Amino acid sequence: MQRREFLGFSIAAGLSAAGLPGCSSSGPLRFGIHPWIGYEPLYLADDFNWLPETVALRPGTSTTDSMEGLLAGALDGAALTLDETIRVWSRGLELVVVAVADVSAGADVLMVKPAIDELAALRGQRIAVELNGVSGIMLLKILEVAGLGPNDVTKVDLPVSQHADAWSRGEVDASVCYEPTASMIESLGGVRLFDSSDIPETIFDVLVVTRETAKKNSSSVRDLVRAHFAGLQHLVRNMHDSVYRVADRQGIAPDEVRSALATVMLPDLAANQRYLRAAGPIETMAGSLSRLMLAEGMIDRNPSIQRLSDPLFLPARVP
Amino acid sequence: MNVRRFVISVLLLIATELMAIAEVNADETLTLGVFAYRPDHVLQERYQPLADYLSRETGIRIRLEVLNQENMSRAIAANRLDLFLTNPSHFLLIRSERSLTGVLATLVRRSRESSTASLGGVIFTRAGRNDIEHLADLRDKTIASPGVHFLGGYQTQVLELLDAGIDIRRVNLIRFLGTHDRVVRSVLSGDADVGFIRTSILEQLAQTDPDLFTRVKVLNRQRLAGFPYVVSTRLYPEWPLVALPHVNERSVRKIASALFAIEPEDDVALAIGIAGFSPPADYQSVEYLARTLRVPPYDQVPQLTWVDALHQYRLWVFTILVLVMLLVASSLWLGRSKRQLASEQRRLRQLIRSWPQAALLIQGGVFSDTNRASVDLLRYSSSESLIGKDLAVFSPEYQPDGEISRQKLASMLARVSEGQVEQCEWVLNRSDGTEVWVELTMAPVHTEDEPEALILCSLYDITRRKRAEQRQRLAASVFEYAREAIFITDNHGIVIDANDAYLAITGRPRNRAIGRLPPLPVDEGTGIFASARAQGFWSGEFASRRNDGEPIALAVTLSSVRGDHGEVSHFVGIFSDISRLKEQERKLRIMAHYDALTGMPNRVLFADRLQQAMALTRRQSGKLAVVYIDLDEFKPVNDAFGHEAGDQLLVEIATRMRAELREEDTLARLGGDEFAAIVMNVQDDASLESLLVRLLARVAEPAWVADHSVEVSASIGYTLFPQTGDLDGDQLLRQADQAMYQAKHRGRNRYVRFVEPSA
Repeated sequence: MQRREFLGFSIAAGLSAAGLPGCSSSGPLRFGIHPWIGYEPLYLADDFNWLPETVALRPGTSTTDSMEGLLAGALDGAALTLDETIRVWSRGLELVVVAVADVSAGADVLMVKPAIDELAALRGQRIAVELNGVSGIMLLKILEVAGLGPNDVTKVDLPVSQHADAWSRGEVDASVCYEPTASMIESLGGVRLFDSSDIPETIFDVLVVTRETAKKNSSSVRDLVRAHFAGLQHLVRNMHDSVYRVADRQGIAPDEVRSALATVMLPDLAANQRYLRAAGPIETMAGSLSRLMLAEGMIDRNPSIQRLSDPLFLPARVP
Repeated sequence: MNVRRFVISVLLLIATELMAIAEVNADETLTLGVFAYRPDHVLQERYQPLADYLSRETGIRIRLEVLNQENMSRAIAANRLDLFLTNPSHFLLIRSERSLTGVLATLVRRSRESSTASLGGVIFTRAGRNDIEHLADLRDKTIASPGVHFLGGYQTQVLELLDAGIDIRRVNLIRFLGTHDRVVRSVLSGDADVGFIRTSILEQLAQTDPDLFTRVKVLNRQRLAGFPYVVSTRLYPEWPLVALPHVNERSVRKIASALFAIEPEDDVALAIGIAGFSPPADYQSVEYLARTLRVPPYDQVPQLTWVDALHQYRLWVFTILVLVMLLVASSLWLGRSKRQLASEQRRLRQLIRSWPQAALLIQGGVFSDTNRASVDLLRYSSSESLIGKDLAVFSPEYQPDGEISRQKLASMLARVSEGQVEQCEWVLNRSDGTEVWVELTMAPVHTEDEPEALILCSLYDITRRKRAEQRQRLAASVFEYAREAIFITDNHGIVIDANDAYLAITGRPRNRAIGRLPPLPVDEGTGIFASARAQGFWSGEFASRRNDGEPIALAVTLSSVRGDHGEVSHFVGIFSDISRLKEQERKLRIMAHYDALTGMPNRVLFADRLQQAMALTRRQSGKLAVVYIDLDEFKPVNDAFGHEAGDQLLVEIATRMRAELREEDTLARLGGDEFAAIVMNVQDDASLESLLVRLLARVAEPAWVADHSVEVSASIGYTLFPQTGDLDGDQLLRQADQAMYQAKHRGRNRYVRFVEPSA
């Protein structure tokens, strides 16, 4: 199970029934995307026909689709988290981060029983975590901040969507999760001890393309990135309109969209320039993440990433 | 500006200000203007509770005034309003006119349980209009709209359609009906095909007309979860409630707090049909829409100054400027190069035209351009006679080397076209029929990418040279083939060149001839060069020797050759071998003076000798005798034994007589059997007579001829010299002859002295 799938559940069935569009060998840039608040700008751009014909969105239900599509060569790019980017890279496919869609600022949370009042108290506790997802990364970071070793806690590897059930059964003392699981656990008596806003600029949702696509089809990559920023502009400037559109797609209430938007930072062009520059936050974080993931056995080999992000595809300005 | 209006405005402003000051802390009244987007009475009814609520909560009397957009704008301009509630587009217009600061609050509309602070546009038609299903079907349809300043009733729809590729402002008939209700009625009655209204209107009307939604069809319906109204366009923030700047801050605060205090469940909220007021929304998106559609206040394109444009498009301006500069520079450069090229071409043309040597351009095998010299060379009057023709036209059929002119020309042109330079001598026919020798040079002047060969052909008149060459060849052949020896020496007489005849005559090999002196006369030697130098020539004959020692006689003429400055630079000598000539001359001389049979002097030489002897005798005062001898009975011998025998006899007798005479004496055969002798230094008669006796005796001796012994005798007459009279040789000989006849008469075989016959 992957992160960011809860929002997409409602439409997943429909899309699965329709089947993923066939993968054409040439033509437009095939970009895998799945529902997540940070990727909404691209969906909006698609709604308003701001995506030129050089880019074709390939909607999936979760990042699993995107990662496998990339590895199978069915996709030229995808919306992934930074750790997923590293996972794909470690499996031998070179990727380039061409835009940062969002930075988690509270979307990922650590829910604990009220008795646990500080991170150090996690020692010896049972923590529900989805190791093979961003939740796993979040836990690693939490342990890092708490100054605990991996074996100081009991990891209960569960898909995030099942954390609430496990909590209600009393099987876990803490859960690393995100909305809406977090709200469910909160209603079950859990408290928020820690969230991603405490570790700023750690959990990134990024737009990546394969190195080959970046080289051979750079104009399409530019079109993609430009469309993302056009959608972002609409999302921010026409919030009165966009919340309804996002709500409609994700099947939630407009107010929930507003609160979801509050848990992510949507970096604009200037911020993207800063993130993507050589040896910038993205590359620095990718370096530390891959060391961490290697140490934890999440990846088999160090992808030894030299150059991950490239700001060259960012437009000069948003139209 | 209208002065009157301005004065009134100022007066009103002053009046209002005075009133405001007067009414501070007193019974204050503020006017709230509400935009009549629906019929006045509906709004009056709906918003009166709000005015009442605010009056109650703030202690300020709030008076409600429902106005359409024009009236509201006018009222605001006149400062008759203190607060107003209108749609965002209208607010933007007012804000731009009044430079208002901000919005107090944004209306949050309610629809049953849900509420929203967003509004949008609805595009609808009558249900059952099957011809109108999509936005694209709106083309050419009549559209009803409340007015251009209506955000949800016009602008949102226009933008949506613009995105769909339809600019209805250009292609459609749009009726502006003032309010949304009229639009709905117009569509329902069929006056208009399509209606534009804002969100919530249909829902409000449906409260009194429950089956309204069955009679209308909403186009381009947006699926927006949680949005309480049907909508065809994207959404924008709801209406703002704005306080004008002249309202004092305390009142504004009171009003704002009263507005935010409204809860959805409150009576006032329920009465107005709103959920309350939210903090001011961001109206940027509306501004963007107005700018995109160029509707007021953004309908006027701002007067862009150059400075603005420069600031805005600095990079572009700079780039274009640079490009223009580059363009200008390159144009100038091109122009200059073009001028240079043209002047170079002119110069080249002038060069060819005025070049004194004939030059022609050949294109496609025929002359395409000629210069003056070429026309003159061929003696035509103008270049038109040459252009368009080929060189063969002006050539004889055959060239001197025997080739056919046309074939030779064709092969040359082929080679030149391939890039070679051809040079040869060529004969041309002039217009007057004369021939002219030219040195023909053809060179390609086209570049490789030019498809047609362009060949420069230059003609150099070498007729004079050719003639000189012919003369020179002739001279050379004369030198080579002359029978006479010809040699050339330097000014010291040393041979520097000589012909074969020289070598043949002198017998010297060439290496021993060149670099040495030519044959010279023994006596004068190299003096002949001095003579030739002084007189211009020397000629003479002299004996020399061949290389093998054989003597030769040479007749030499030596001439001096003078250089440019008159000094003698060379000598040219001609000589011939005259050895044979000399021999013949000698033989002839012998033949003239001697008798061929006996080899004795003949009568001529005898006469000559006699003259000399007489002169010598006279000088020495001596004596000589002339003796005339005639053989007796010789004819019978001749007859009997033949001429040969006679000749033998004559030779025998002559030899005998000669033997009797001394060296200084002369014996000559005068002819036939007659001889004469000159006896020098006759001392006395006796010795002479003894000689004569001996002669007779010797003649008389028998001779053996033709196998026979023959005997003859002689009759001799003689005379002496000098005598008393002056005598010449002939007279002496005649005297001796006469005496001989005397001897014949006296019986032969005797001698008789001449005796002067007595007179």
